[in-house]
Amino acid sequence: MAILLSEAFKVGGEWSLAGYADFISKPLNRTVFFRTLKLGALVVLVSAVVGYAAAFCIVNLEPAKRGRMFGLIILPLMISPVARTYAWIVILGRTGIVNNTLVGLGISDTPIRFLFTETAVFLGLLQLFMPLMIIALISSMENMPKDAIAAARVLGANWFQVFTRVILPLTREGLVLGGTLVFTGALTAYITPAILGGSKVLMLETLLYQRVNVSNDYVSAGIIATILIVMSFGANVVLRRLAKA
Amino acid sequence: MSQTWASRVILSLTLLFLIGPFFIIIFAGLSAGSTLSFPPDGLSLKWYLAVFSVESFRQSFMLSMLLAVFGTLTALLLGVPAAYAICRYKIPGAETIKLIVAAPIIVPGIIVGLALLRYLVVPLNFTVTLALFLAHTALVLPYAVRVVTATLENLRTDIEEAAILLGCTRLQAFTKAVLPNIKSGILAAFILGFVTSFNQVPVSLFLSGPGVRTLPIDMLAYMEITYDPSVAALSALLAFLSIAIVFIAEKTLGFSRYV
Repeated sequence: MAILLSEAFKVGGEWSLAGYADFISKPLNRTVFFRTLKLGALVVLVSAVVGYAAAFCIVNLEPAKRGRMFGLIILPLMISPVARTYAWIVILGRTGIVNNTLVGLGISDTPIRFLFTETAVFLGLLQLFMPLMIIALISSMENMPKDAIAAARVLGANWFQVFTRVILPLTREGLVLGGTLVFTGALTAYITPAILGGSKVLMLETLLYQRVNVSNDYVSAGIIATILIVMSFGANVVLRRLAKA
Repeated sequence: MSQTWASRVILSLTLLFLIGPFFIIIFAGLSAGSTLSFPPDGLSLKWYLAVFSVESFRQSFMLSMLLAVFGTLTALLLGVPAAYAICRYKIPGAETIKLIVAAPIIVPGIIVGLALLRYLVVPLNFTVTLALFLAHTALVLPYAVRVVTATLENLRTDIEEAAILLGCTRLQAFTKAVLPNIKSGILAAFILGFVTSFNQVPVSLFLSGPGVRTLPIDMLAYMEITYDPSVAALSALLAFLSIAIVFIAEKTLGFSRYV
């Protein structure tokens, strides 16, 4: 694997910084880069918000129910991402549920285009990676002393204060772990942007694929590969620091 | 009272978002019409049956199956001794080994696939199937090592010592005392590896040749040319397969501990 890694770097390494300057100067590349970053961050943010609510509820269930809930949360992880993403075509497509409902109720005269938008990619990624966040948060909440919340409540903290002063600091490691998994996942997902974004909403991964298979442009491909690895490692390192700080 | 109510609402909504789409796929595949829509135009099983008659699906299903089984077995063959060494011996650089083993998880799969294509398949004339096999083995290896390490860490070391005192060689102590005790961990690693390998796309994306494609890649390709419900039907069937495997694993092993 180490050889492989260095080879992946070599693809871009053969070219000096000129290749990078050229790459950055193209607006499409910049758009795609920032879109990937933005969607990744958004998915982490939303899955953290939902994840806290869901994990908090699950941890407070009675043990038997908790196990069953946990099973249901990890179930989607075991199912093919192609199948999971495909469902969104059925939901958001021209003759999908949302459009059929909108047209049927007379809210809209013609089907609205949902597929191949950033929203579609966002929803797909969120559904794909949220379980990882929930699992990470559950395991760190289980290690949280049960009476901490009650103690804070007795001492007069409102729920917002309980969350920011007690729950958040005590589950920081779980949040960071979940955040890393979700962010790297969203960054390196190929299927979801390919199916739900198409060539309209390119992400770094789909752009890389296009550069190789459509335009045979190995220089750009190497640069994108390097950017992806750097972002992925960077996220890992930065977030691990945050967990310890 | 109101708190349990709020908790129920939150959990139902989360599950609806996470699992709801599968029910939609199942029904979309039941459509009698020839384009994908929801609610389906009439009900029929024809698309579920149609899946089995598509030649390329059959071929790619077999390939994915073989890759998943043999890739995972090879990964376990390498991973179990590695995990054992990491746990039992204070080998120098154990942390580094752990990091290298974890690398395929951090490095985007698409790049691994591209590197394999550029540096193994093209210059060294590796067949695509062999490259796929290597890629899938490498992909599963981290899971194998992680799950088996976790199991080994919970196993007391005195049973091996007892075995050795009773006259076993080191190898016999491993096969007779350790192996039977970590069987369920290995099985869990196998299932996790199998599912990961079977479902994985990015690594195999560049590694496809004439007639050689893994099932998910084949589905993606099929989706690009047609808009009929057969992919929905196939997705639903695969989802059932995964659910069945995980359900059985959970009942027999308490699988969710290992994930």
